[in-house]
Amino acid sequence: MKKLISRILLGTTILASSACTKIDNYDGPNASFEGNLISSEGGNLLTSQGSSQIRLEQISWSATPSPQEIPSKFDGTFKDSKLFKGTYKVIPKGGAFWPLYDTLTVDINKGTKHDFTVTPYILIKNFTAVLNGKTLTLKYTMEAPIGAGLPTIIETQPYVNNTKLVGAGASIRDFSDIYKKAINKEWADMTDADKSVTIDIPDMLPGRKFFVRVGVRLNDSFKSSNFSEIIEIDVPAN
Amino acid sequence: MGALVTSCQKLDIPPTNIFTPDIIFGSEAGVKSFLATIYRGLPIEDFKYRPDQGFKTGGNDWENFFNSASVTGEEVGPFGGMDIGGGFGYWPYGDIRNVNILIEELPKHADKLGQSNVDALLGEAHFLRAYYYFGLAKRYGGVPIVTTVQDPGAPLSELQVHRDKEEATWDFIGAELDLGYQMMNETNELGRANKYAAAALKSRAMLYAGTIAKYGSANFVDGQARAEGFAGIPADKANGYFTKAYDAAKLLEGHYSLYEKNSDKVQNYVDLFLKSESPENIFVKQYSIISGTAHSWDATMSPRYMTANALTRSYPTLDLVQRWGNLPVTNSDGTPKRFNDRAELMQGLEPRLLATVYFPGATLRGLTFDMQRGIYPSFSGTAAAEVAKPANSRSYILSGDTKTLYQGRMIIGFTGPWTGGDELTRTGFYVRKYIDAAKPISTVDLNRSEQPWIDLRYAEILLNRAEAAMELGNAGDALTVINMIRNRAGATPYTSIDIDKIRNERGMELAFENQYYWDLKRWRIADVVLNNARFKGLMPYYVFNENKYIFLSEPELFQRNYNFDKKFYYEPIPGGELGKNPNLYPNNPNY
Repeated sequence: MKKLISRILLGTTILASSACTKIDNYDGPNASFEGNLISSEGGNLLTSQGSSQIRLEQISWSATPSPQEIPSKFDGTFKDSKLFKGTYKVIPKGGAFWPLYDTLTVDINKGTKHDFTVTPYILIKNFTAVLNGKTLTLKYTMEAPIGAGLPTIIETQPYVNNTKLVGAGASIRDFSDIYKKAINKEWADMTDADKSVTIDIPDMLPGRKFFVRVGVRLNDSFKSSNFSEIIEIDVPAN
Repeated sequence: MGALVTSCQKLDIPPTNIFTPDIIFGSEAGVKSFLATIYRGLPIEDFKYRPDQGFKTGGNDWENFFNSASVTGEEVGPFGGMDIGGGFGYWPYGDIRNVNILIEELPKHADKLGQSNVDALLGEAHFLRAYYYFGLAKRYGGVPIVTTVQDPGAPLSELQVHRDKEEATWDFIGAELDLGYQMMNETNELGRANKYAAAALKSRAMLYAGTIAKYGSANFVDGQARAEGFAGIPADKANGYFTKAYDAAKLLEGHYSLYEKNSDKVQNYVDLFLKSESPENIFVKQYSIISGTAHSWDATMSPRYMTANALTRSYPTLDLVQRWGNLPVTNSDGTPKRFNDRAELMQGLEPRLLATVYFPGATLRGLTFDMQRGIYPSFSGTAAAEVAKPANSRSYILSGDTKTLYQGRMIIGFTGPWTGGDELTRTGFYVRKYIDAAKPISTVDLNRSEQPWIDLRYAEILLNRAEAAMELGNAGDALTVINMIRNRAGATPYTSIDIDKIRNERGMELAFENQYYWDLKRWRIADVVLNNARFKGLMPYYVFNENKYIFLSEPELFQRNYNFDKKFYYEPIPGGELGKNPNLYPNNPNY
C-alpha cells in the first residue's frame, strides 16, 4: 500500500513539474472606455438603468467579433474599465434617440474617452411635481426636436422610487405603472393637449422621501423611453 | 513458414464492426431503424418540450410544466417572465444530415426495397426534412439550406454554407412538403407521416410565412439581416403564401374529420385527446413506459391531492378563460354573485371550456377541486372595490396550510390556491386538456403517462384554413369552417366572422398545445400583448355568515410581469455556430 501511494505521489510530481511550460503573455483586460451620451438639445441624454448601451465589436481580434455592450448610467455616462486593448467598432444604441448608423472605429487603451452626440426622440419640458396633501401632481409637456418620421408614441407614465435610481425597471409599481397613460398616436396627430400631460398620484406615504421622474415610450425597435430629470419629494408626516 | 506465405490474401473486405449502407438500406427493417433516429429528433413541441432548453427525449424529463403557455398568459407559473424569447440555440444540422443520407442512399437500393417503397420513403424523408427546416425557419428566419451530404474532408469554404433568405427557406419547406404529399401513401404506421401529414404541415408552415410577410412588414426591427432578406419577407408575397396554406388545408377535406363520437359534448372534447382511434389525428408522437419515453403530463398538471406523486407549477389564467367571455360571477350592481356550491359556476359554460380547464367544483378521480382562497366572515360591497383594497385592509381570513380551521371550516382548499409554495394553483384553475381521468390515483406518477401527443390534428388544419381564407378575403368559407369547430365544441355558431374571432377561436381550440407562442410571434403582436403584462386568476371565497361562495377576479398570486422584446421575433443565430461559420452573419437584428 505504501509503495502504491509513493508511486502515485511520484507520478503526480512528474506530471506537475512537466506541465505549464507555456506562459499566457497576453495583457489582461486593463484598457477602459468611458464617456458621455450628449443630447443634441443640451446636457447629457437622460437615461434609465441600461436603457441605452454602447455596443463594442473588437475588430482587432476577429473579423466577426461577438458584440459586447456597455450599459449607460442614469446620468447618461458610461464606463467599462475591464476591456482588452485593441481596435473596436463602437456605436450607441438602444434609444430613445434617432438611431446612428455609422459606427466609429476607436483604438481603446488605458483611459480612452469618447463622447457621443445623439438627438433624443422626445424632450420632456416644464416638468413639475407638486404635492397637495398626499396627492402628487405631475405636469409636463413633450417636445420633439425632429417631428417627421418619429416612431409612434405608445404611452407616458410616472416613475416613483425611494432611491435616486429611478426609471424603467426601477420604480414602485403602485405609484408608477398603474398611472400609465396610453397614447398610441403619431406625433403629427397629437394635439397640444395630448402633448401636455397631468398625472395625479394619490395616497403617497406620509413621512417618506420619494424620487420622481416621468417617461414617454416610443414604438421604435427597442420600445425605448425618453425620461425627464429626477425630482426629489419629501412627503410630510401626518 | 507455410502460414506466413498463405496469409493476407484479401485485405479489402467490408468491415464487420460497423454498419455499411448496404446493411441499413438493404432491408425495410434497416431503413426503419434509421428512420426511428430521425423521427426521434424531430422538433415536435410536445409534453416534454422545454422552450428554454430544447426537445427532450430522455427517461426523466418530467418537468412538463415548463411550457410556452406559461410565458404567454395562457398559463402562469414556472417562468419568471419572458425566459424563452432568446431560444435555446436550436441547430439540428446533424439530424438534417441524416435525412440527406437517407435521400441520397434510398434510390441506390431500389432493387432490394422495391421502387414503390423507395418512392414512399423518399416522400417521407422530404416531409421530415421540411419538418426540421420548419423548426429552424420559425426561430431564425433564413437559414442555410443544405440538401446534400457534406464531405467532412471538403475545403472549409464549401462547408461554411451561406445563410439563405427567409423567403427562400419557407419556399424550400413548401416544395419539400409538396414532394412529401406527392410521393407518400395515404396511410402509414401510427406515429409516422402519411401524405396528409405533409399537406397539414404545409398549411401550418405557409400560414406562418404569410403572416410573417404581412405583419412582419409593419412591425419589425431594423438591421442588416432584415435589409438583406435573411429576417423578413416582402409584404407582397403574403397572399401567395396564404393561398398555398388554404390549398394545402383543402387537401385534407374528406379524409379527416373532427372527433364527434360521444354525444356528451364535454366528454367528447376530453376524449378527442385520449382516444387513439380519433379520425382527427393526422400525426402523433407516441410514448411508452417500457422504452423509457413516457411523459409526466398527468402528474405535473394535477395537484398532488389527485395523484400518487406530483408537482404542478403552471396554471391556466382567468385571461385565457375569458376568451370564452366573462364568467357570470358579478351581479349587475357590481356585487359578487352568491353561489350555494362552487360547481354552480360551471352551469351553462361552453363544453369545450370545461373540457380544457378544471374549474372549482369539478371532480377528478373521485375527488373534488375544492379551490378556496380564504374565508370572509361576512362580505359587503362590490367585487371591484374589495379587490382594489390593499391586502392588509381586506377582511378575509387566509391560511398558510390546509390544517388551519376557521370555526371548524377549512380556510383554504386541498387544491389551493395559496402562496406558500408553487405546487398548488395560484389562479384558481388547473389544466384539463390531455388529462387521463381514467387512470387510478396510484398509477399517476412521474414518467408514467403514455397518451400520445397529437402534433397535427384536423381542427388546427380547419383553423389554418379559416385564417388563410379570411386573409384572402373569403369570409364565407372562414365562417363555415369556424362554425364546424364551434359546433363540435358545443358553442353557439357565429353568424358573421372577422379576423379577431378567428384568432380567438384558435386561442380557445388550441389552448396549451404550444401554438399560441408562435401565433403571437407571427401575428407580430407579442410585444403589444406582453407589454408589462400581468394576468388574472379567479379566487373562490367562502362567505361564512351567508354559507355561500363568491368568486373574485384578482391578479394571479405569482404577480409576475411579462415583457416581449421586439428583437425576439427572431431568435439569435447560436453564438457557437457563428464562431464556426462566419457566413452565417449578419446575425438577426439587435443581437
